Amino acid sequence: MRYSDVELGDELPTENPDVSMARIIQFVELTGWKFPRFTDHEFARAEGLPGAIVPGIMSQGLLAAMIHRWAPGCRIKKLDTVFRTPMVVDSQPVCSAAVTDCDDDTNTVELDITVVTEEGATSVLGTALVQFG
Amino acid sequence: MSVDIQDLHQQWVGAECGSSSYDVNTDRLLAFANACGETDPRFIDPEDAEFQSTPGFTTIIVSGQGSEALPKDFPQFKGRSIDGGKSVEIHHPIRPGDTLTGKQTIADIYEKTGRSGKMVFVVHRTEFTNQDDQPVTTVDWRWITNLVED
Repeated sequence: MRYSDVELGDELPTENPDVSMARIIQFVELTGWKFPRFTDHEFARAEGLPGAIVPGIMSQGLLAAMIHRWAPGCRIKKLDTVFRTPMVVDSQPVCSAAVTDCDDDTNTVELDITVVTEEGATSVLGTALVQFG
Repeated sequence: MSVDIQDLHQQWVGAECGSSSYDVNTDRLLAFANACGETDPRFIDPEDAEFQSTPGFTTIIVSGQGSEALPKDFPQFKGRSIDGGKSVEIHHPIRPGDTLTGKQTIADIYEKTGRSGKMVFVVHRTEFTNQDDQPVTTVDWRWITNLVED
């Protein structure tokens, strides 16, 4: 994918990221966030959550990985995400994105980025600024 | 509880919340990239000439602190607080062996009113530089408190 291949309104291929418990445990081991709300469904439900939840910054990382697969070699200059609805561990969320702006002077595009839960609720939404070489 | 946002803004925006230091190593960069499902060699292959952190790597340094990230004498709001989201701006690649310093400030305070009432937004900013004093990332963390009125 080169800048010249991109058009306003293009949609990135959607992805079903791996948010299995094994992957979440891998993430919390790294961050040191060994909070049971991320790794224990029963504990999370007792807290009023629908189940163990995916850490917000991990969902941001899932979106970045999707962008890198769409445009290998691109540089993400900015990622801005809002966490709205909890995303449950072991569920089947969908990551998607669309091109909302193109800047020919800097070979930069802006994307609207979203993660939707398997129930159809918007879990994460935001924007990404991506520069092509 | 009555909160005067203008007063809070005037008193606290720009206030320093401290600074922290963080040593970057290959294992942590790989663990973060793999957990997020990265497949680009720049992020998962230490032998790649451009091996570096994924864009959101420094968010793990500022996350998980909760209200402890704010100054000790910052007002305690009565209500439920949540992580409202994060923004990261990338200025320069982060590589293994880097030592990062994060300078933390309160960048903004504002309020919104939703169906569940008044909410206070505190934007906590961390500006990371590397060992050469080169800016590498700026992370904004929106901390939201859904106020409970007395």
